[in-house]
Amino acid sequence: MKIHTHDGQVRFNLLNFAFSKLLMKRTHIILLVLVAVAVTVIITMFGDFSTYETFATAAKEPGRQYHVIGYLEKSKAFEYNPQTDPNHCTFYVKDKAGNLNKVIFNGAKPTDIEKSEQIVMTGMMQGNEFHCSKIQMKCPSKYKNDQVVVGNAS
Amino acid sequence: MPGKLGHFFVITAFVMALFSCFSYWLAAVSEDKDVQGSRGWLLFGRNGFIIHSAAIVGIFATLFYVISNHLFEYHYAWRHSDLSLSPKYLLSCFWEGQEGSFLLWTFWDCVLGIVVMLTAKSLESRTMTIISLVQVALTTMVLGFYFGDSIKIGSNPFLLLREQMQGAPIFAQPNYLEFVKDGNGLNILLQNYWMVIHPPVLFLGFASTIVPFAYTIAALWKGEYQKWIKPTWCWSLFSGAVLGTGIMMGGAWAYESLSFGGYWAWDPVENASLVPWLVLVGGLHTIIIFKATGRSLVVTTIFFILAYLLVWYSTFLTRTGILGDTSVHAFTDEGKSLYWHLLIVIGVLVALSIAMLIKRWKTMPRVKTEEAINSREFWMFIGSFILLLSAVQIIITTSIPVWSPMVKSISGKDVAPPADPVQHYNSIQVWVAFILCTLMATILYLRFKSSDNKLVWKRLGITAAIALVMALIVGYLQRITTPQYDLMLFGCCYTIVGMVYYAISIQKLKFKKLGPATSHLGFGLLMLAILISSYNKHAISLNTTGERIGIFDDKSREKDIKENMEHVMMFKNVPMTMGDYTVTYKGDSTISDPEAPGNIHVLYKVLYEHLDTTTKQAIESFTLYPEIVHNANKQMNNGVANPASRHYLSHDVFTYLTPLNDTKKDTAQFRSHEVKPGDTIFISNGYIVFTGLDANVSNPNYHAEANDVAVSAKLDVYDLKGKVGSMQPVYYIRDKQYVDLVTDTLKDLDMYARVQHINPETKTVDVQIKQDDPKDDFIVIKTLIFPYINLVWLGVIVMVLGFLLSLYNRLTKKEKEKASFTEGYPFSK
Repeated sequence: MKIHTHDGQVRFNLLNFAFSKLLMKRTHIILLVLVAVAVTVIITMFGDFSTYETFATAAKEPGRQYHVIGYLEKSKAFEYNPQTDPNHCTFYVKDKAGNLNKVIFNGAKPTDIEKSEQIVMTGMMQGNEFHCSKIQMKCPSKYKNDQVVVGNAS
Repeated sequence: MPGKLGHFFVITAFVMALFSCFSYWLAAVSEDKDVQGSRGWLLFGRNGFIIHSAAIVGIFATLFYVISNHLFEYHYAWRHSDLSLSPKYLLSCFWEGQEGSFLLWTFWDCVLGIVVMLTAKSLESRTMTIISLVQVALTTMVLGFYFGDSIKIGSNPFLLLREQMQGAPIFAQPNYLEFVKDGNGLNILLQNYWMVIHPPVLFLGFASTIVPFAYTIAALWKGEYQKWIKPTWCWSLFSGAVLGTGIMMGGAWAYESLSFGGYWAWDPVENASLVPWLVLVGGLHTIIIFKATGRSLVVTTIFFILAYLLVWYSTFLTRTGILGDTSVHAFTDEGKSLYWHLLIVIGVLVALSIAMLIKRWKTMPRVKTEEAINSREFWMFIGSFILLLSAVQIIITTSIPVWSPMVKSISGKDVAPPADPVQHYNSIQVWVAFILCTLMATILYLRFKSSDNKLVWKRLGITAAIALVMALIVGYLQRITTPQYDLMLFGCCYTIVGMVYYAISIQKLKFKKLGPATSHLGFGLLMLAILISSYNKHAISLNTTGERIGIFDDKSREKDIKENMEHVMMFKNVPMTMGDYTVTYKGDSTISDPEAPGNIHVLYKVLYEHLDTTTKQAIESFTLYPEIVHNANKQMNNGVANPASRHYLSHDVFTYLTPLNDTKKDTAQFRSHEVKPGDTIFISNGYIVFTGLDANVSNPNYHAEANDVAVSAKLDVYDLKGKVGSMQPVYYIRDKQYVDLVTDTLKDLDMYARVQHINPETKTVDVQIKQDDPKDDFIVIKTLIFPYINLVWLGVIVMVLGFLLSLYNRLTKKEKEKASFTEGYPFSK
């Protein structure tokens, strides 16, 4: 939009130009800003998301939290001695790649973990052990797969 | 037989829904040209819908009959109930299953449909076309039709057990029913009164979102937006109130019977019900803008359409098992057929909505001029948009299992939900809460179109000043130190102060006008309560330093571990300090629920004593009985923990146990002590003084007979604090012939005493003491302090009352619609 100022010069007011040509309203601009903020938030949010890994891939970045899916190795003992430490379980899990690994769970023993078909552990590799703070189990109930969440932090 | 009847009802319901939808549609398309003909179709549509509703009630009654009479030849009854089930939970069985919950939804739709039928007037044909269309979709869910072997449409709740499990060898025998004596039973976690009342309310909330949707489609259909406003406004108020109540009832159930320790965990199932509510409330606000100023029509229609589509999407998320495990995709057959079924329904609804929007997009009235910055509509619109953004964030994270396979195929990364979901949502949604709270009070001070700036600034200044003082006090007392939560705290206080101020000085406490102030006050209270209760929730088991480990803190790995260290093991009768309390596990007892004999409840008696720091005397004490419930059907070997809590006005003491394999053994044995009167016997945690023999026997377990010679040994038992009690074991000679003993016990110390022998020569008594080894009897317990949980419930109640008050006001108000719109806002055509 051309604006004639008092000294006769012609100037372009860019903002007004944009408003009038693009029919942009103030609301639209604020919405655009909000959407931009939202997109930024959503993009940063992706950094929060974890990934599913195997023990081997999780070991590449020890100390970083991952989800590992696996199966409780029933031939090895599940150790839980509340007398010595009620927040400590040790057991072995075979991951989807078929590798057996020792797992330490910092929490009370998840109910019925021996019967679980599959477990999803959230935690990290430390040395040769996988330390997890959360275990999600899939238990066979005769006709449907019930998900039971246990050992949830907080 | 009831199965045949039930199936007949199912077919009737389906056919009648189709018929009603078709008739209503014909009535709608012909009502402008052929009034007479349209009227005829309208009557057909109504009758069709009424018969459909009757059939749905029929299905309901038949299925209830099957369950309550324990007809286990029906799969549904066998799968979801058993003989031992208490009658009050029969309804919970009903909605435990897929089919039952769809039926509940269909049922509510019928009720709502009939109300709409009676009240929609000229919009009836169009709204009812949409509602009966959805009824068609919902009844297909229970149809149970097979096309060939692989395609199955819906699942019939009246299937017999032998039909459901074809090929199982047991059914080869004609008398197989003799082997099916009892059902599978209801999940113990669902045997809770909240589970009886919460699903109907939640489903009514879900179902009711159809009405604003149907009205919106009806308005778009013919491009009439005036008559649409009032009913849509009223119904969205209703929906907001009921769905909000339902969601928080779910929270109350989780709080009472689940042991994750809280009312909200950002669980996918919870999120799926919250998101439609957020969008619906957004629509509720933009329709108010439209009513007052003629603006925001397009977004309002989009909000209401989206809210309803999200209800279906939630159903898709929670029912198909897609959330269950991202990388496995091992759905049950039911989940698999439901997957496509729901996708098709959603597809149809989306296509219908988009078609309607495109059809009217160009001609929808829009206001060309700008909103003033000091107008209510401007900020209200922004607030509604923030609600939408909040919903978008929640749904993106919740839908990870839906979109992660796509990402995996492109980038190879197998995306999983955040390692700590609570922290993830909180860190984003705290800003939403802050912005919304800040907008709320501000908006109500503004007027539509334009406001008196000076007056607004003055009011805002006063509100902000009071709120700041309040926030500082609360923040100091509650020790809220994280900056973003301090901001949120200020926002909450600002809303609370603003709403009270608004109600008193602007609305002059006129009852009918108080709806908005009340609902927003409730929201402010709720946010405040959520903030305080979550920020200061802490475990007192183990964490004796009182250090806060609120879930709002940024969590390091150490903290993560510590949170999991909150379980402590307690031996029987060994006191332990937990926060302000001295806690002692006193022993267990087993009861069976007379109403549900299949369940064995093991109650663990845990004594909490609040000791005075100087005198060590208990100022206050109470006993909690956290339970472990075992089901006779043994679905879960170790039982299920049922929490117990002590309620105070300002906080709850919440405790639950970890179910363990029963390791208790009776290893203790009696040991002899030869004592004279005045002697002391030392035991593991105290001592016993033998004060002498007494011929006056007062042991209630001893029943005296004529020729008895009886004495009791008087034993006083002390522990480190002082005298605990006394025991009088009895030694008697009956009929001068045989000697017998009556053992006395001291429950508190698990101690048993008996007099084995009295030696007249040495004047000593052989007292035998047995004490259970306390190391054999222990529990693993977690105790949390939940501050201001009552404020959470209060906030919800106030908010819902606000919705209802607004609804009441809306319904009783004489409409001056025409007048306000002929004033002539500059519509552009």
